Amino acid sequence: MQLTDKKNVKALLLTATTTLLGTASVQAAETKADEWQFDTALMYYGETDRVTAVEAIIAGSKQFGNDEILSLKLTVDTLTGASANGAVAQNTPQTFTRPSGKGQYQIKAGETPLDDTFKDTRLQLTGQWTQPLTERDIWSIGGNLSKEYDYFSAAINSNIARDFNKKNTTVSAGVSFAFDQIDPEGGIPNAFHTMLIGDVDSSNFASDFDATRKESGDDKTTVDLLLGLTQVINRNMLVQLNYSYSASSGYMTDPFKVLSVVDQQGISQTYLYENRPDSRKKHAFFGQVKYHFDTTILDTSYRYMMDDWEIDSHTVDTKYIIPLANGHTIEPHFRFYTQTAAEFYKPFLLEGQVIPQFASADYRIGEMDAMTIGMKYGIPLSDGEHLSFRIAYYQQSPKSDGTQAVGQLNDLELYSKVDAIMAQISYSF
Amino acid sequence: MKIISNQKVWLLIGVLSLSACSSLGVEPWERDKLAKKEMLPNSAPIDAALDDHIYFSKEASSGGRSFGGGGCGCN
Amino acid sequence: MASPCEVLIDCNDKLLANNIASAIAKEAWRIEDKYSRYNIQSVCGQLNEKAGQSCAIDNETFLLLQFADQCFQISNGLFDITSGILRKIWHFDCSDNIPTQKEVSHLLPFIGWSKTSLTDATFTMLPNMEIDLGGIGKEYAVDKAILIAKKMSTYPTLINFGGDIAVTGPRNENQAWLIGVEHPSLKEKNNVMVKIKTGAIATSGDANRYLLKNGKRYGHVLNVKTGWSVEEPPNAITVAAPQCIQAGFLATLALLHGKDAELFLSDQDIKYWAIR
Repeated sequence: MQLTDKKNVKALLLTATTTLLGTASVQAAETKADEWQFDTALMYYGETDRVTAVEAIIAGSKQFGNDEILSLKLTVDTLTGASANGAVAQNTPQTFTRPSGKGQYQIKAGETPLDDTFKDTRLQLTGQWTQPLTERDIWSIGGNLSKEYDYFSAAINSNIARDFNKKNTTVSAGVSFAFDQIDPEGGIPNAFHTMLIGDVDSSNFASDFDATRKESGDDKTTVDLLLGLTQVINRNMLVQLNYSYSASSGYMTDPFKVLSVVDQQGISQTYLYENRPDSRKKHAFFGQVKYHFDTTILDTSYRYMMDDWEIDSHTVDTKYIIPLANGHTIEPHFRFYTQTAAEFYKPFLLEGQVIPQFASADYRIGEMDAMTIGMKYGIPLSDGEHLSFRIAYYQQSPKSDGTQAVGQLNDLELYSKVDAIMAQISYSF
Repeated sequence: MKIISNQKVWLLIGVLSLSACSSLGVEPWERDKLAKKEMLPNSAPIDAALDDHIYFSKEASSGGRSFGGGGCGCN
Repeated sequence: MASPCEVLIDCNDKLLANNIASAIAKEAWRIEDKYSRYNIQSVCGQLNEKAGQSCAIDNETFLLLQFADQCFQISNGLFDITSGILRKIWHFDCSDNIPTQKEVSHLLPFIGWSKTSLTDATFTMLPNMEIDLGGIGKEYAVDKAILIAKKMSTYPTLINFGGDIAVTGPRNENQAWLIGVEHPSLKEKNNVMVKIKTGAIATSGDANRYLLKNGKRYGHVLNVKTGWSVEEPPNAITVAAPQCIQAGFLATLALLHGKDAELFLSDQDIKYWAIR
């Protein structure tokens, strides 16, 4: 039988092969590369007596014909609860004015002052486009928009990576530019201005409060550079090394944080709104080793970060993936973090002393250790779907940076620990 | 205030990449283990994003693995 | 099959993996012994030895020859398992030793699948003709091995017989198999990485087998109709198809299209990776 030139070779072959191999159903050879793949996650984060956060993520990625990849991610999170306002605990109850100027809150004797007005919802959209340029160069560009009630952030980034040595070595370089805008309710407090605490119901309180503040919001810009090296060591081992540089300039003060001014007996006299430098330059070195044992995988990373606020930090993070006989995986996780205090960190100010140029009592830029212990359980489902559960315990242990406590502060808890639980469910399909 | 010179950093990266080119690596057909998703440097990006967000808002350092988090008023 | 063969099973059960591997090895040796043209005792050797007579054949041989027949039809006669005797005059040793038109013309009468006759129990060809199942035998073995692997377990399995590859399905967690196609005759930079979740790939081509005379290059891919080298075929071509035997045939057929190899495959909407 002579067939025409233009015929469906695939279909004809299918018949021929079915006869030869007796295979009734013949699958398609193409991968499902051109379908969207989704990762979703819901996370709960809860601190004892403090902040509670719930965060949901849905991320989708799609691969196109020439290995281009489009990734989109939507994040929604809500934050409620109380956060340390920076003031020290006292033997007597304390009263603070809310950052909005609308109302006050009382703190019991002996307790770390927490501002319970935190409530915010954030919506974030992230997009990234990645495409090969040549056989060994990959280029990527992306952006990020984030909006919450009093905060807006926009960022763009671009990254290029080149493979060498049979793709055993990958060198990458990236740059990111971010613009952040803060516009808190009640305005931004003037640096080191005294918190107005009086009769909130009096007729001139609102105008007096406004006098302590700037009407408008403020902003900051951040430029990030990232250089990376990924190296395959052998069949079992992979190493990643990164150097990153980050330079921010603009408003970096926390408008919700104050410092207590205490006398020699340690008794609070006033609360001053904090003030931080308007420039910060960070260097970070990140190293990661992935090692594949016979069946398990060890993932360990270390990060050293230093900045010109004189914060040095070390982070060690280890995960160990253990496959079980039933195909599930169990993954213990451990993280240790330690940081030194910023040079302008002051747990409190002493009455009568000259006010420094910059000062903050925010424990998050003070000396601190933190530890995370967690566990993840993964269940592969049919057709590439995957379900996992993760739970972790996180503890922050703020420490004294050497500042000598005075009077009653010697007997009060100035550096209280923070305990938190994180729980997460992830589903990929 | 401490600022380390950028030159030193470039030098460090340079030396690392040079040493990496020697005899390290595998042949394409030896990538059986490396090709697993779990062996990607960032094998669980969603977990990493959630963790980064928490640590960004609770600690003074961020980033390192990738661009340094941010985009929220939580810090 | 004169090339490294491997079976990769994505599981932790060593015992079962061993059992599957030995069953597949056994099947591979059976097919090798039965159809190798180098072995005069093989079915193939016997059919060649008894060219000119009507030979009894078993069902498996009938099915294979029927498949070869369909390949011949589909390719409009380009793919022909009787073309092997051209090797008697073409020695691709990188010399300038090309045959004369007279030598070629002398052989052409003994080439041509249409000069054979096949029934479900017998096969007959003209005296001095030869068949060679090399073009489909290895791929057939891969597909048979896949059937065995699927019967013995549900674990994701990859069969690789000297670069002819098929998988039973995606790896655990629906991950694709990542295959580096490296052809021994090609430079390292030409390696291709192929990702497949189902189906098979096969590679054809050998850049080291050619003759060079008066600046003209004669590659090892021969047109059965003329007996001469096909002009400007790719150095190697890797084709994806649901089954290995299809991939192998398509890769060979593409090379026979010479400079139009890629055009032929893309016209037919067939996934391929070509190296020129």
